[in-house]
Amino acid sequence: MSELNRTQLYDVHVAAGATMVDFGGWEMPIQYPSGIVAEHLYTRHACSLFDVSHMGRLLVAGPDRLAFLQHVLTSNAAALELNTAQYCIISAADGSAVDDAYLYRFEEDRYMLVVNAANTGKDLAHLNQALKDYDCTITNITGDYAAIAVQGPKSKEILQTLSDGGTLTEPMRNALNTLTFAGRPVRIAKTGYTGEPLGYEVYIRSQDAAWLWNRLIELGAKPAGLGARDTLRLEAALPLYGHEMGLDPSGKPMPIFAVPLAKFAVSFSPQKGDYIGRAALERQYAAFRRIMNREFQDMTDLPRRIQPITLLDRGVMRAGMPVYRNGKPIGWVTSGTMVPYYRAEGEGLETVILEETAKRAIGLCYIDSDVLEDDQVEVDIRGKRLKAVIPPYHMRVDAPPFARPILYGLEASANVTGSGNRAADALNLLRRAGENHHWRQKLCINLIPSENTPSRAVQLLCASDPAFRYAEHKKIKSFYDKDIFYYQGTAFIDRVEQLLVEQMREFLGCTEVETRTISGQMSNMATFSALMDWKNRLDRKHDPRRLGYILNNHIIKGGHLSAQPMGALHDYVAIDPVTERHAVVNFPVCKDNIYRIDVEETKKVIAQYRPELIIFGKSMVLHKEPVAAIRQFVDEEKIPTTIMYDMAHVLGLVGPYFQQPFAEGAEIVTGSTHKTFFGPQRGVIGVNYQKEDLKYGLWETIEARAFPGSVSNHHLGTQLGLLMAAYEMNQFKDSYQKAVVENAKHFAKCLKAQGLDVAGDPATGYTETHQVIVSVGYGTGPQVANRLEKNNIIVNYQATPDEEGFTASGALRMGVAEMTRFGFGKAEFAQLAELMADCILRNRDVSGDVERLRAAHTEMQYCFRDPQFQAALENLANQIAL
Amino acid sequence: MKYPEELQYTKSHEWIKTEDGVTLVGISDYAQDALGDVVFVNLPGEGDEVTAGEAFGDVESVKAVSDLISPVTGVVCAVNEDLLDAPELLNSDPYGAWIMKVENVTETEALLDAGSYEAFCAED
Repeated sequence: MSELNRTQLYDVHVAAGATMVDFGGWEMPIQYPSGIVAEHLYTRHACSLFDVSHMGRLLVAGPDRLAFLQHVLTSNAAALELNTAQYCIISAADGSAVDDAYLYRFEEDRYMLVVNAANTGKDLAHLNQALKDYDCTITNITGDYAAIAVQGPKSKEILQTLSDGGTLTEPMRNALNTLTFAGRPVRIAKTGYTGEPLGYEVYIRSQDAAWLWNRLIELGAKPAGLGARDTLRLEAALPLYGHEMGLDPSGKPMPIFAVPLAKFAVSFSPQKGDYIGRAALERQYAAFRRIMNREFQDMTDLPRRIQPITLLDRGVMRAGMPVYRNGKPIGWVTSGTMVPYYRAEGEGLETVILEETAKRAIGLCYIDSDVLEDDQVEVDIRGKRLKAVIPPYHMRVDAPPFARPILYGLEASANVTGSGNRAADALNLLRRAGENHHWRQKLCINLIPSENTPSRAVQLLCASDPAFRYAEHKKIKSFYDKDIFYYQGTAFIDRVEQLLVEQMREFLGCTEVETRTISGQMSNMATFSALMDWKNRLDRKHDPRRLGYILNNHIIKGGHLSAQPMGALHDYVAIDPVTERHAVVNFPVCKDNIYRIDVEETKKVIAQYRPELIIFGKSMVLHKEPVAAIRQFVDEEKIPTTIMYDMAHVLGLVGPYFQQPFAEGAEIVTGSTHKTFFGPQRGVIGVNYQKEDLKYGLWETIEARAFPGSVSNHHLGTQLGLLMAAYEMNQFKDSYQKAVVENAKHFAKCLKAQGLDVAGDPATGYTETHQVIVSVGYGTGPQVANRLEKNNIIVNYQATPDEEGFTASGALRMGVAEMTRFGFGKAEFAQLAELMADCILRNRDVSGDVERLRAAHTEMQYCFRDPQFQAALENLANQIAL
Repeated sequence: MKYPEELQYTKSHEWIKTEDGVTLVGISDYAQDALGDVVFVNLPGEGDEVTAGEAFGDVESVKAVSDLISPVTGVVCAVNEDLLDAPELLNSDPYGAWIMKVENVTETEALLDAGSYEAFCAED
């Protein structure tokens, strides 16, 4: 027998007491003295280290590298941008897998393909066979660098210590970076094989491997072996070559589409040409689509699929055990064991992971493609048929930083239901509504930056008669674009809408305004729909082309949902045929201030992508958007585009204290009227096109996409209320806007002085808007926000630009607009900062102090309050009996 | 590794102890260490007849399953049901965590004393 290979860390493993085994020709640790169960659990709740230096690493370089990879891999390597990685499969001509692999692009001119250790030789032979037609090289660089997987919820914190707190990678999965740890060069990837939402793989020079391993252990990570690596990947339902790929237990090759991950790993992009296995994969994909639609007549090309399986009886499933349904054999278990997990209690965000552990017998199986989720099956465990079920999944990772076990059959508690006595419930509703109103309006300090309380005048108008009416209207060319109403009784609201448009034009500083959209999101959808319609106006005989490219703020960098493909852009943005993803690129942000757009880098992105739409605006916003600089750039470069500013949050700040979007070069502004603006909850669209402009047609399209495109009933009550809000805003904006920005800066300064970690640039007073962002510790945002609520301070928890998602939020987002309107000045915000620090840092009950602070400020400012107005207001209240 | 003097052992790594005509059977410290984390035990039923040298159940670690070989022929009069919910007791307390009690013993495998068993394990 040939001598086994050893990794750079062999001595470290032996010294730690690891049990070493032969794994694919390598002498590797299967477990350390603490055991597989403890290693699995430590990965899930803290951080484990895995030596993955045995994994085969192949460097692909040369002029034809991309064409070669497109030919031998199932994935679309052309979509792989610098500093990203992708999962892929090395396909055989029959549509089965030679191996599965990960493709990394750390450098512009070369790719690194990471393959299974045991398959490295076979893969190289296969790839070299295909290489002859291509001008590129494959080099086995496996031994050149050590590789350490650092996996688990504490991995980020631990690695950040080594990177001096700097950003490791972008927070997205598969992001890569090159940096140094204490002067030692490392390459780091946000990838892994444990299913952990936080996990990295670090490549480091051989001579530094032991140093890094030991430093990570000093910082709290623990070593884990191949045993735990297998139970972790099984719980995450990640395939293992030789089990879920390759040959099935009867010796037949398994089709690649049997593995659920194939959906992501296989591309049929025209960019790929006729790659190895393409024809077979296309047949499998056709069968896969039929199966997903539950058309099971023809499953020849995909007779069986890999699914998760959970044993219901007591026992343990193992690879190779037959699976039956209604007495008939339907396939085999491909991987199975007993996997430990932490028990949890509580629900939703209140879920607490306990120290108590348990185990469950789970596995993966290769079974007939017509078996559905929740189907009951049986597993033959050494002659005994034990009950099992096909669960939807074993684990979920959509609530980072933790991977969470999903126990079959467990459900969230039912929604609240009524008592059955409607009269009693109706009475109760009144009581509860009153309590809620009192709490939010008299006791709470409201700091949600997307909210505001409208004045009493606005509230009364919102509830007055037009609230129950319709007033559809449309401009008619025959009448020289006069608005024609469809119903009688609408003269009043007709006049209101015209006055509102006048006020909003004045406020925004633009030529045209649409006020019928009833939310900011709807304003965006109407605008995107109009942009797409306008793009296709000269060709109505084909399916309309969607918008692309679009430049926006990434949601993690503060971008607003209503300008994302998952939000309002959903039906209007194209798929880029090269990347097979939405044709969206994001504003680059400054390295030293991730809240600020990097203008110079943005220019490069614009030059490269030539976006047809540029959308400024954020929901986590501390700075002005560089509208003027980008306008100047696209004009100079003659790049045809539309510049839009979604001012959702900052609509009420339009003016000299913040930004004047049209003066700076925006063509379209959308916004919601109830954040920093004084209105009830509605939307607005403004454009700055002149009647003689070509793009005036776009404006007319926007109007048509508002009505009848988006609304038939445009909520007349709040439209009326909005007119009053617009009067208030135009009358009082100078003092209000100045106060908001000053209060925000002062509040930020006081929070900082109280010892809180305030985000943003101290040189600009941390903020130039109404928002203040405070970091409270990774993943603790929800808990701190909840504690503040119990103390009558209402904020929202927020993921910062380097965090993974809302459950991992480590920050609070606050806005000063509403409390400024209730008369808070610098003294009040200073006092509030002290109370918040007491609550957040010292866990002191400040609810009484908060109530007292609020009680002194319940009267609305920046609104009409003279006696004559008050009298008219009371008269109106009497007339509408409110 | 512990090899208590008062117990006797088999070459398949079970231990036995006979008290008042009842034989307790478990697995040795060496066995549990080699298995790694025990995650499941398949116990015989009370009243089952077990045969010396033949499997009476199995023990599953994370990695694999191993048969439990009965050192005696007889009738199972009790099984340690604690192991159903806490199979890890076999790791943490192999000599306290007996697996079954057998009565009416008619035949016994060749057994080793603690010293011989320790020497046997050392060779293994």
